[in-house]
Amino acid sequence: MQAAPASLFPYLWAGALVAGVALLASPLRDRLDQANIIMLFLLAVLLAAVRLGRGPGILAAFLSVAAFNFFFVHPRLTFAVSDVQYLLTFAVMLAVALITTHLTTGLRRQAEMARHRELRMTALYEMARDLSGALSLEQVDEIVRHFVRRGFQYEACLLLPDAQDGLSRFGPAPAAGIRQEPPLEPARECARSGQARNDSGWHFQPLRSPMRIRGVLALSPPAGSRQLAPEQQQLLETGASLVAIALERVHYIQVAQEIQVQMESERLRNSLLGALSHDLRTPLTALVGLADSLVLAGRLPPEEEELAQSIREEALRTSALVHNLLDMARLQSGPVALRKEWQPLEEVLGAALQARASQLARHRVQVELAPDLPLLELDAVLMERVFSNLLENAAKYTPPGSTVTIRAGRDPREADRVRIEISDNGPGLPRGRGKSLFEKFTRGRDESAIPGVGLGLAIVHSIIAAHQGRIEAGNQAGGGACFSISLPAGTPPALPQEEA
Amino acid sequence: MSPPRPPQSEGPAPVVLIVEDEPQIRRFVRAALQSEGCQTHETDSLGRGLIEAGTRKPDLLILDLGLPDGDGIELIRELRTWSCLPVLVLSARTDEADKVLALDAGADDYLGKPFGIPELLARVRALLRRARRSSDSGPIFSFGQIELDLAQRQVRRAGETVHLTPIEYRLLALLASNAGRVLTHRQLLREVWGPHYVEHAHYLRVYMASLRRKLEDDPTLPRHLRTEPGVGYRFVA
Repeated sequence: MQAAPASLFPYLWAGALVAGVALLASPLRDRLDQANIIMLFLLAVLLAAVRLGRGPGILAAFLSVAAFNFFFVHPRLTFAVSDVQYLLTFAVMLAVALITTHLTTGLRRQAEMARHRELRMTALYEMARDLSGALSLEQVDEIVRHFVRRGFQYEACLLLPDAQDGLSRFGPAPAAGIRQEPPLEPARECARSGQARNDSGWHFQPLRSPMRIRGVLALSPPAGSRQLAPEQQQLLETGASLVAIALERVHYIQVAQEIQVQMESERLRNSLLGALSHDLRTPLTALVGLADSLVLAGRLPPEEEELAQSIREEALRTSALVHNLLDMARLQSGPVALRKEWQPLEEVLGAALQARASQLARHRVQVELAPDLPLLELDAVLMERVFSNLLENAAKYTPPGSTVTIRAGRDPREADRVRIEISDNGPGLPRGRGKSLFEKFTRGRDESAIPGVGLGLAIVHSIIAAHQGRIEAGNQAGGGACFSISLPAGTPPALPQEEA
Repeated sequence: MSPPRPPQSEGPAPVVLIVEDEPQIRRFVRAALQSEGCQTHETDSLGRGLIEAGTRKPDLLILDLGLPDGDGIELIRELRTWSCLPVLVLSARTDEADKVLALDAGADDYLGKPFGIPELLARVRALLRRARRSSDSGPIFSFGQIELDLAQRQVRRAGETVHLTPIEYRLLALLASNAGRVLTHRQLLREVWGPHYVEHAHYLRVYMASLRRKLEDDPTLPRHLRTEPGVGYRFVA
């Protein structure tokens, strides 16, 4: 005889159970009341329903009625019935057996579901506990894959944003534990839309954190498995949001570490530059002061007084160079930390004009500021350097008596920007030098008697760039150089209202 | 350059204490101050500086911020607990934050290194004048064409009354009564607007701009209401 398929066994068992009751009760049929024999059969049906499920339960119900009729109801060993009353007995017995089967299998299924739910909840709780201690992406990845394996019996992998703003699978190159690489295009679509989706045999779940979508969880169901049940779907969503929050936390841990390193290196840089500044300026201060002492004592013959004056001038020039070099070092050695504050351009410009007053003494300076010029968010000290350097250049490269014009107003082409122009009516810039002027150690005229090493404009360029601005150099139609700066206007803060 | 001015004749010679660790700088600062008629004392360390400031009773302290035995700002803080002696800070540092720190701690003015003797003497004179005047100052300040009458709360420019808002007036009065000193943004905001406004530097800048438009001949190139970029303002009489 061929072995019966596995799914038939419960039915055979049910049959055997009823047969067993019939066999057991047969010798006792004279001593036991028929009602008790019916109870025994109902017990068999109940057992079949509890242990074997709905189908075998129903089979047992029918078999029980048949067996009771056959073995215990007069005339015995036939299905014929002498007393019509037994028909009611059979009907009630069948109904009770079927209802019992129905109720017990329902209970059984609920118990089964509760057990599964508990398994998944345990998996979820364990993941939440493990994720709360996870400090690196590797740990998160490991915990997530463990969770999916336990809660769904699926394989999974994390797809995280990469440096090129795309998505890529996290982890070692030959994927451990998954059959194949997940397709990236549907994953990207999932990350873009924030909607879970099924594609090419994979299920993609977006990892949505409070701030943004932090990646995609790709699940690979074993071949031939069914779609996720609503309950599983919900579990997956809950798990995914836990993972997303863990990823966000890991992200902020990294950000905090980077900032700490950056602050540390900035502190180091500042103290180094500060020490350098101190060591270079101290002897220059002595030189300037001692030369001044010689001149002010008033006991030197005129020629020697001139020498002392020259010492003073050269020391001051060296000091300006030191200032530029230190500024350049500060601007080039990392992101520029701006101390931005909202202020009228007039004030910054005024400070620069004040600082360059002696160089501009023999020039005419015209300032034309538009009356509707908004407050600008600037680092006052650095922007003062910008205008100082541009004004110094204007003074250096134009003959005495020239006019330097400063104009500022809303940019006519871009409404959200402000345009500042510093122009002169001197000889203008050499042809074709527009861009290279802003490079380090580049000078307007290579071999000229005008002192300088060409750091001024490079500093200007770095500072403007740090303010999200642009600077262009060119010549005006009517002759003379023109530097034009474009800065974002932003939204100035409200001012207090005060009655006049 | 102008020849040294004759020693100041009014009252006894002012006493100046120089705290600076670089001997060459001490040397020319001393010579310049003596040519100005001042009596000088010198030390090269914080600890000695504080003791000398107590025993010599100077009229002015010239202090280098970068001393070998500590930060000059600590000396200022310590000094300010018992003295309102004017302090002029010399600093070779580039960072404006250091200047602000020194001024907020109670320094009156600062001079960046390198500096010339004329600059140094101008600052010294302004601080000494201020110290003397604060004892016998009348209610009227005049500078250029401007007359500020503290008693009547009036401002006149070339004889004409200038209308100022209450805040503008308070700002001007505060700056003028501290002529020669640098007041930081924080100090001005706290005095004029109150302690909750110390982060609202743009208020100050906007009012400053409107004061300049009302009082200065060329608001872009102010003569009296000078800007110290990244630090604060200085009133120059």
